[in-house]
This record gives sequence, C-alpha cells and structure tokens, in this order.
Amino acid sequence: MGPSSRIVIIGNGVAGMEAALLIRAREPQWPITIISEESDHFFSRTAMMWVCCGQMNHQDIEPLQRDAYANANLTRIRARALGIDRSAQQVLLAGDHPPVPYDQLLIACGSRPRPGPWKGSQATGVGHFVTMQDLEWLEDEIHGGPASTRAPRHDAHLRASNPESPYFKRGTALESRGSTSSQPAVIGGGLIGIEAIEIMVAAKRTPHFFIRDEWFWPIALDTRESRWIGERMEQHGVQVHLEHEIEELVTDDNHRLTGIRTNQGEFGADLAVVAIGVMPNTDWMANSGVELHPRGGIPVNGSQATNDPNIFAAGDCAVLPWWDGTQRPEQLWYTSRDQGRVAARSMLGEKATYQRGLWYNSAKLMDIEYTTAGFVNLNITGERNWYFEEQGSVRSTIRIVTLSADDQDNGNQSDHNQGQRVIGFNMLGRRWDHSILLQWIRERRSLQWVLDHLKDASFDTELTPPLRIPKSALQQEPIAATARKTNQPTIEPPTFF
Amino acid sequence: MDQQGQNGLLTTYREGWRKRGLSGILISLLLIGFYLFLYFEDKVHRYYHVRPLTDLAASLGLRNRWYLYGFLYCAAMLFGAFYYLKRHGNSRYNRIRISVNVAVQVMLGFLLPFIMPLFGGTEFYASYFWPLKYDYLYPHTLQDLPLYLAVYTIAGSLIAAPLLAFFFGKRWYCSWVCGCGGLANTFGDPWRHLSSKTTRSWRFEQVSVHTVMFLAIASTALIGLDYLMDNKSSAFHAVVSGNRWDDWSIKYVYGLGVGAILSGVAGTGLYPLLGPRVWCRNFCPMAAMLGLIQKLGRYRIRVKPDMCISCGNCSTYCEMGIDVRSYAQNNESFTRASCVGCGVCAHMCPRGVLKLENVKPLATEKGRQGLPIVHL
Repeated sequence: MGPSSRIVIIGNGVAGMEAALLIRAREPQWPITIISEESDHFFSRTAMMWVCCGQMNHQDIEPLQRDAYANANLTRIRARALGIDRSAQQVLLAGDHPPVPYDQLLIACGSRPRPGPWKGSQATGVGHFVTMQDLEWLEDEIHGGPASTRAPRHDAHLRASNPESPYFKRGTALESRGSTSSQPAVIGGGLIGIEAIEIMVAAKRTPHFFIRDEWFWPIALDTRESRWIGERMEQHGVQVHLEHEIEELVTDDNHRLTGIRTNQGEFGADLAVVAIGVMPNTDWMANSGVELHPRGGIPVNGSQATNDPNIFAAGDCAVLPWWDGTQRPEQLWYTSRDQGRVAARSMLGEKATYQRGLWYNSAKLMDIEYTTAGFVNLNITGERNWYFEEQGSVRSTIRIVTLSADDQDNGNQSDHNQGQRVIGFNMLGRRWDHSILLQWIRERRSLQWVLDHLKDASFDTELTPPLRIPKSALQQEPIAATARKTNQPTIEPPTFF
Repeated sequence: MDQQGQNGLLTTYREGWRKRGLSGILISLLLIGFYLFLYFEDKVHRYYHVRPLTDLAASLGLRNRWYLYGFLYCAAMLFGAFYYLKRHGNSRYNRIRISVNVAVQVMLGFLLPFIMPLFGGTEFYASYFWPLKYDYLYPHTLQDLPLYLAVYTIAGSLIAAPLLAFFFGKRWYCSWVCGCGGLANTFGDPWRHLSSKTTRSWRFEQVSVHTVMFLAIASTALIGLDYLMDNKSSAFHAVVSGNRWDDWSIKYVYGLGVGAILSGVAGTGLYPLLGPRVWCRNFCPMAAMLGLIQKLGRYRIRVKPDMCISCGNCSTYCEMGIDVRSYAQNNESFTRASCVGCGVCAHMCPRGVLKLENVKPLATEKGRQGLPIVHL
C-alpha cells in the first residue's frame, strides 16, 4: 500500500463512480470525495428517456443502491465546480463551499448539450435532453411533472447554480402556454433526437422531427436501413422532415417558442428539444492550466493523465487519439467505464493503459434493434457492402462491409482472406453478439466464411424464427455503398489491418 | 411482426393504479377480502348465515365455490393474457409461453377436474405437483387415487419435475405450467415492476422460501410416519394429523398457513403492492426445490460482454426481484435460484444483452469469447 492520497473526483457518472469504487476496493483508507452538481446518486444517463415516459422511475435508473456511498465510505459534495487551483491543489466550488484539497484529481465531468446556434435558441420552451435537469424539464413540459417521485434533494444545487451550467434547470413554458406541450418538435437526427421522439410518441403526441441530413442518422445507417426507421416513425405519427436547415426558432412577445422556421417553411411548435450533439463540459476549468483541446475536451495520454501528472480525466470530457489520426472524445457508456477504471489504476500507481478496441455499439431505434461492429459508413477506399433484407415473420436487415482482399497486404498468414474481407457489420431487427462479429473482423474472415457462420453470432431471444438467407442472396456480390449528397471524404483503410 | 424489442414504450408509472398508491391499496384490500371470504365462507356462514359464493356457484351450475374460484381464476388469466400479450406479445417466446400456460390452466386446472367427476372420475389437478400441492403425497390421498394417477403424481413430483428443471430450469414449471405463476404473469403483470430489488428482500426470500420448503417436507414426512404407525389414538396422531380435519394439527396448520394464507391471501392479495410473485418468490416450496436444482442444472441467463448500459429495465421489470443489471454490467452470465425464466428481462433489454438459454456447463463457451460463467 502506497502513502495515503486524497482523491477528488469531479463527476458522479459512470467514469467517476467506477474509478471511486475501484480505488476504494484497493485502498480502504484513502479519503475519496465525489463532487457533482447534477445529482446525489449515480444514475444511468442512457436510461433517462424511460424515466420521462414513465417506464422506470428515478430510482430505477440508479445502478447502485442508495447506501452505496456510505458503504464504500465515499464523501459527496453537491456543488458546481468553478475551477482548479493547481498550485494549491484545490478544487474551487460555487456557493459557500470551501475549496476541496486533493493529492490526485480525476475530472469525469462528462458532456454538455451543444446549444442551438439560431435566433430564439434561448426561448422558453426550448431545451435539451442530456442532463438530469433536462429530464426534469422535459417531464414537466410533456407530462406536467414526473411519473413518480424524483430523486431526493434533486434541486439541492440550485442555490449556487447559474444559467451557464448545463445542470441549471431551465424554466418551462407550462404557465404561459397554459398546458403541457401539444405540438412538440425535435431538432437533430441522432440518437438523443430519436429518444426525445420516442418520449413524445409514448405521450401520444405527433412531433415534428427536423433532420438536416438526407436521411436519418447517416453516420450510422445507410439509406435503406434509415428508410425502415423512418417508416416506423411515421407509423407512430412522427412528422419526419429531412433536409431541413433550421433558420430560426420563432417566439412570441413573451419570448416563448411558437414555431420553427426552416429553409423549407415554418412549422408550428410549442416545444423544441435541440439534440444536435454534445460537447465536453469543460468551460468551468478554462483558466485552470489543464490543457484543453480546441474543441473543449481534455487531452489525456494512455494512462488517462492530463498535462498535470496529478490530474486525470476520463469519460466524455477526455479526448484521445483515434485510429484515423484525429483527437476526439469517446462518448459511450462502456468506454467511459473502462477509462474510469484505467484512471483509477493510474491513480493507484499502477502502469495501466487504456486500450481502445474496434468500434461497436447497439441501440433500439423505436422498437427496432440495432447492432453495429467494426468499420461502417466510413467511406473507406474500396469498401463494398453486402446487404440483405429479411421480410418474413421477422423483419431484419444485414449489412456486411467488406474490402477486396486484393487491396490488402499479402503478408498475412490467415487462410480466410480470399475474396472479400469483412471489416464491419450493421444489423437491424435481430440481435447479434458483437463480440463474435468483432472476433471475425480481427481474424480477417472472408465474406463467404462469415455468411456460412452467421448463425453462430446470433443472439436472438429463444424461439425467435431463425434467419434464413436464400441462396440467390448469398451469392450476390457486395456493391459500393450509396453515396451521400454531401461529399463524404474517403478514408484510407486503417494501417493496423 | 418484429420478434423482439419492446412493443413501443411502457407508461407504467404514469398509470396511477400501478404505482403502489391509494388505488393499489384498494385493489389489494379487495383481493385480500375476496380470498378471506373464499377460504372462510363456512365460518361466515356459521355466524351470519350467508354463503354468497356457494350460492353464486350453484346458480351458475358450477357445483361449489371452488369451481367458481377456478372459473374466475381462468377468466382472470385470460383477461390478463390479453393485457400481457399486448405489451410483450411481439416476442415469440412470450406468445408461446403465455398461450401454453393459460391453456394448461384452463384444461388441466379447471375443465378436466370439473368434468371428470361428472363421469364418475376423480377430481384431479394434473398440473400441480407436490410440494406445491402438498397433500398429493399424503398417504391417504394416494390411497384414494386410481393407481395410474397415484403413479403420475409420485413420478411427476419426485422424478419428472426435478429432471425437467435440471435440463430447462424451473421455468418449465413456474412460467409455463403452474397456475400460480400463470396468474402472476397475466392478471398480475401490471404490477411486475413493484417487486423489491434490495439485498434485504433477497436475504428475506432466501430464508423464508427454504423454511417453507423444509416445513413442507417435514410435515409430509410426519404425516407419512403417522400413517405407517397407524395408531389413531396416539398423541402423535393428534399432533400431526388431528382427529378431525380442522383440529389444530400440523397438517391443518400447514394447510391454513401456507396453502391458504401465504399462497392465496398474501400471495395474490399483495400483487398491487409487492409485485405478482410474492408467493412464488418468498414462500413456494416447489419453487425453492426446483430453484436448488436449477442452480445445478443447465439453465442460465447469458450476458453479452461489455454491452450493458446499466439502464435498469431488466431489474425494474424482474418480477422475482433479481437485480439482473448487476450481473449484466459485470459481464457475468448467471443462474439465480429464484429466476422463473419469464424472459421479460431479455425482451425488454434495449441493447439485446441478455439471453435465456439451456447449455451444457462449459461446453458452449468453446470457440466463443472467454466470457466467465459465474454461479452465484
């Protein structure tokens, strides 16, 4: 056991909490303090939409029982961090909280929503769906209040918060509107956008859905896949507006939202959820001397350390080098968790390195299952797509991204790289074990081999009719992907292949 | 129709009667009142000279109030099955499971025992086994049964049920056959999220369910011993079996306490407050026994590694109060003794992380990723 170290963690999300619990497991005596403006209890941000619908209550999305902090002897401070005094090794807090001294500091303060750049973006009735306070705001606007009780002390921070904070609860348009929203809208065709849409659909509204791109979620889906999601949304009464550029959020004299003007016309709306992305929540530490990336994130090395060896960063707020040479955050649940663990081990004095594996993810778009693994929709030079659409008692799509083996170096020893080599999967409607799909990509399997073994990666629930791909479809050649109107740059195949 | 994924979004907590509030308490009181009346109508009759259930049963041609109860039971299950399938019916596992369960209850749990006596046969509930149907291994019960039914109930209780539980988990019974489980999964489904997930409730359940299992085995053994000793005037006989059926004997107390109060009055009456599996989870001796076998057997819930986002849908909607999420977020495939395999956690999972399966231990992991198998 090393000398006692005072640990301070800013952020009560998965990265911070994983780190706290791991450090506590190894060092029973070290004082650990968690600072959070957002919430007293660690909760699953990815589950907020179900709370808003009423499918779960506020406590249901807390992965740990509420006595976890007491049991692990973690001190909590519910306050907004205002900065870091590195020379005195202190975190400065808002309100009447004294500064918190640290020996090692972990910054795991996550993301904040990207504000709308348009006129009217600050109007009443306009908000986001990223923080707990956003959830409370949307619960009020759509339903008039929470389905069940909110977490205890849910507004304990309000006294010392301010409108600049993503955790400041914005005012609702309930009073001036005289009711909950009857015509809501969502701006931004991504995952948070479709979550907000689902909340509105569950509340029996028929929202507008403004999407800038030519189809929904082009960074993840191709046009055929997206068409299915669009159809499903329209079945539920969603008014999907593709290729709409927002020009103004129209307000009345009371500064309350009344409509949305796009390049294609004006649409009435009394509520707008702006879901055009998130960015690292690092404004508060701008003058602390911790190096920041031009786009806001905190650059870290493989041990999650910043330019200050006593300060670490993990989760959405950290940026790290990607395989394509860019520096970006990884805004995912499981990467945040892993980064938190690596940061904790570094703080414990171990040599730990965060190793980013191949990309994978899954989601549910309306009620359609979605799994992706490997290199999809990246427009890699020479990339081809094998596509099959299953239309039977189960509807599903399977897209396998391949590279011609001729384009590859011939030095590898694998037997399986004849013909088209598989580099990615995009699947809708069925469940797949991504760990097996990734293994095939790493093993440099050919398209033919993968198609022959596809059932081994199936993760459908029991008694689901098995996938049957007709011979004619199996023999079809993969073809080039549908081009997007906006010229997407091509990327050279990653060198580690 | 899509086979998996929730059928739209559930607005559970936005429906007042499903929230453990005033309306929940009222529904619970209504159910408790009904069960008390059902079990103790004779006593009511003794003092107030009314027998509404018996009279109603007679007027419907259902012979006695127990057949009326059986009829209402089936009606509640059918009604609840429609509700359940509206919510989870896009899963084929759930469609088939609920259909089988309702069909078994209607045929074997009501029609057959109702019709058989009309043709001089025995009133026999073929879908219930010892120790849930505790009197089916009592010697005098076996004595009164035709030989083939006596063999059926002995072999079913002691050989078939445990064997099937070994290969398929206890779900073959608790979620596909059993009437108690069937009612919980249909009529009781609106309240499935109310089961407690705390560690404390888990500890309580472990003690209580195995205590009742011990009592079931012990009382059956004592009654068997009493039968073998065949001494009607001994003190042992008075204590174990009693001279009249409602003397305060071990047999009577078990029947009253476990058979009537815990399974009926509390087990069903508390649906709207503690979730629909109060009986199955905390008290059912059959569930306890099959659960122990399940731990040794092939059934498990498989967890896809590093995909869980800890959202909590699985834990929230687990009717047995299992904190499924705690296993999923630790990448642990697991078998819990209490799991009845209803399949809702897997169905609800927005990331498709969970899968129910029967596997030979260790064999299936060959050639797959090195996912740890954890038995807890």
